[in-house]
Amino acid sequence: MSNKTPLLELENVSKYFGNVKALENVSTTVIAGQVTCVLGDNGAGKSTFIKIISGLHKPSAGKYMFEGHEVAFDSPRDARSLGIATVYQDLAMAPLMSVWRNFFLGSEPLRRFGPINLLDSKFARATAKEEMAKLGIDVRDIDQPVGTLSGGERQSVAIARAVYFGARVLILDEPTSALGVRQSDLVLGYVRAAAARDLGVILITHNPQHALPVGDRFLILNRGQSVGQFEKADLSFERLIELMSGRVHAA
Amino acid sequence: MSEVDGLTPTKTGDERITYRGPIKKLLVSPEIGALIGAVVVWAFFWGNGDKFGTAGSTANFLDVAAPLGIMAVAVSLLMIGGEFDLSAGVMTGASGVTIALMAKYFTDGGISLWVCIPAAFLLAGCVGWWNGFLVNRTGLPSFIVTLGSFFVIKGANLVFSKRINSLVNVSDVDKAHGYKFFKAVLGGENKFGDMKYRDIIFIVGGILFAVLMILGFIEQSLVRKQSISASDLIVSLIGVAGATFGVMTLHRTDSVNGNTVAGVVGLIGTVLAIVFYARARFEKREKIAGGFPPAAKTLLLLGILGTAVASLTGQLFDRNEERVMLQWMPTNLRLAVAILGGAFPLAMTIRSFMRGDIERRGRVISLLILRLPIICLVSLTGVVSLFQLTTVQAVRAVIITVAGTGAATCFYQARRAAGKASTKWFVNIGLLMTAAFLVVAFALRADSSAPRFRGGIFTSLLLGATLVLATTLVEASHRARTKADVSADQLGRRMILLGLIIGGIALAVRLVLSDGVFRMSVFWWMFFTMVGAFVLTKTKYGNWIFAVGGNKDAARATGVPADKVKTALFVATSLLGAFVGAMILMRLNSVQAQQGDGQEFEYIIAAVVGGNLMTGGYGSVVGASLGALIMAISKNGIPAAQWNQDGRFIFLGAVLLVSVLVNNYVRKKANEQR
Repeated sequence: MSNKTPLLELENVSKYFGNVKALENVSTTVIAGQVTCVLGDNGAGKSTFIKIISGLHKPSAGKYMFEGHEVAFDSPRDARSLGIATVYQDLAMAPLMSVWRNFFLGSEPLRRFGPINLLDSKFARATAKEEMAKLGIDVRDIDQPVGTLSGGERQSVAIARAVYFGARVLILDEPTSALGVRQSDLVLGYVRAAAARDLGVILITHNPQHALPVGDRFLILNRGQSVGQFEKADLSFERLIELMSGRVHAA
Repeated sequence: MSEVDGLTPTKTGDERITYRGPIKKLLVSPEIGALIGAVVVWAFFWGNGDKFGTAGSTANFLDVAAPLGIMAVAVSLLMIGGEFDLSAGVMTGASGVTIALMAKYFTDGGISLWVCIPAAFLLAGCVGWWNGFLVNRTGLPSFIVTLGSFFVIKGANLVFSKRINSLVNVSDVDKAHGYKFFKAVLGGENKFGDMKYRDIIFIVGGILFAVLMILGFIEQSLVRKQSISASDLIVSLIGVAGATFGVMTLHRTDSVNGNTVAGVVGLIGTVLAIVFYARARFEKREKIAGGFPPAAKTLLLLGILGTAVASLTGQLFDRNEERVMLQWMPTNLRLAVAILGGAFPLAMTIRSFMRGDIERRGRVISLLILRLPIICLVSLTGVVSLFQLTTVQAVRAVIITVAGTGAATCFYQARRAAGKASTKWFVNIGLLMTAAFLVVAFALRADSSAPRFRGGIFTSLLLGATLVLATTLVEASHRARTKADVSADQLGRRMILLGLIIGGIALAVRLVLSDGVFRMSVFWWMFFTMVGAFVLTKTKYGNWIFAVGGNKDAARATGVPADKVKTALFVATSLLGAFVGAMILMRLNSVQAQQGDGQEFEYIIAAVVGGNLMTGGYGSVVGASLGALIMAISKNGIPAAQWNQDGRFIFLGAVLLVSVLVNNYVRKKANEQR
């Protein structure tokens, strides 16, 4: 199952803010085509963890390796240029703009028309629709404002956008936290579909019911400490809940 | 990798989302409210008096509207980008004063306008940059920052023009070098001869416009058949021939009676052409056999009532009566109005009291003693002052317009409600609606001596009746498309676009060439509107503007240089302010130091009336331009209708409120039905 070289590896990473230990000795691996779930209750250090991976924070100690080389990011832009894309909870979208305009926001496709560069809206519309179809999302009207989409569909636009713009590691921050049952299932389907396109996916969630069906590997955090990383085969739902709640320590 | 049951991606189109036809798509676009508003307001003043809407007065009010229109373009872009510029108004004055003062006093003999005008632009650019810089850097609301700029510039205008020129206005820049050139480019009037083929161009253009619009809408709404039916197509072509004959004969002959045959042939021809064209190319549908839908009942009754009011009002009031209502009414009637004005709230109060529960009855004393007299007084004052302020002809025009459009809306909604339940009643209500159009048309024609009513309004209403009849028949017998069809949608869109271009050219030829004068200000207005609309919808910068106004953090997160975009918008607004200032200076050859003071709110009103959202992220440049047009029409139409000039402020306030409410309502409705 994991014979590929890891896309991303963290070894004993710690982060301190003054005398607060936000994260201590956490290790994980992300492999292309697989989903790594980061689980933990509130205050477990999940946010700090993504911020380190996405380049917003520098780790205070430990190693951060991308494709086998150690890296140190000065800003999220550095991480992004390596293909580490983060889909935050607010999704970075303008609700009144149409799906295709949001999809290409900041990286608009252009078409030369005489001396002027035009927005290639035909290409943008077609590509946005096609890219979303590849993840299994059928947006009827690519011109409808993102604000009129359901929460799950909005997530899907953000995921499709990250995939299209060359993400190799996709970090999803609680994508199902505000969604209903059906919508959550849809989004988890998109997560699987993104992994199927050979991306390494990091799914952050506090909901074991969402994590278990899609994840290949589970990193469990509790109060800034790593409880351990588990392969799917070694884990049952009950065990996962026990580990997350911190009642039992990993053997 | 393991495949997980139930989570395999599937096509997950939401079955609750329905296909939006072309009309609904049109309704969600931001400028639609302003477009309808402009047409309604124009038609209102046009129908209200002979002075409005002639070629000369049109050229006049377009010239007056141009500065407002140009500024509305800039302000709407800024507003979509999420900011305001309260210094935009005084900027026009500042650039005028700068240019004029430099041209006269910079050296003893003054200096060339080739230096002064670029200098003014440079100054304006700096002001815009400063506004943007402060907003970005301090995070203060642009309302505060630009309010500061507003007062500083206003003061500077007065101080410098008084100190240097010892007057609050600076005039006579026409001796400066380069004046001729700039006058021609910015404030020129170009005379054309009266054009011989003007009318025929207008009519042919108008017909092509109508045909293309109808074809485009049909193309986008119906389902294409596999093959075209030849026999139906031939009937349709005969219809086209009839319609053409009708229109051409109507155009050539002047006598009312001689036109009847031509009119009837033309109308029947048009209906035949449309109905059989649809039969030839598009699929039919099953009839829905159902009874009269109760939902349509109230609407239908309201429609009939509105029609009756619209047709009878014309007969009851004299259209040339210019006295105010209260003077015109006999004394007894005045008393009756006063009593009604008081009695209405009394009735309402009693009604609410009768409905109320025990607890509310307990408050009866406070209600009767304290509130009722106040309500009665307010209502009475309202009614009396309304009649004191409005003339008979104004009330007449308002009643006819409101009742007429209200009736049309009610009929339309009733027809729509019936369409879901029963084909028979859909057709019946459609026929009734046609009849209503005809009744109002003949009632208005009979009443009036003005050729405009005999010709213009009558013809428009007949055309309306034709269109209602044709759409009723087409919709009743053809299946509406419920899916997008890429090639048909594209063809339909292109037809509509072509129609709009041809119609626009025809209208421009009619308006511009009829008076023989074309002012550069109008050209610049159109130019900047087109450039603004182009940048907003067709370039990546437009995408960025929407994004910084809609969600600045999101824009920044995706790599949009949000601060630069905002600064650029502030600079553009100031630069256009300078342009307008130069334009007015060249046109009038003098500038008041207070020029543009207070105008910034008119720019904002124009943008809001045009469907731009105050909170940013949504809007349209064309809409803002149309908003400016609405304001210009009312400014010009009110004196032309011989109403009190100061009434335009009342009108402006009402237009602002109504248009925003209508915009929001339409947008909400259209989005609900997505």
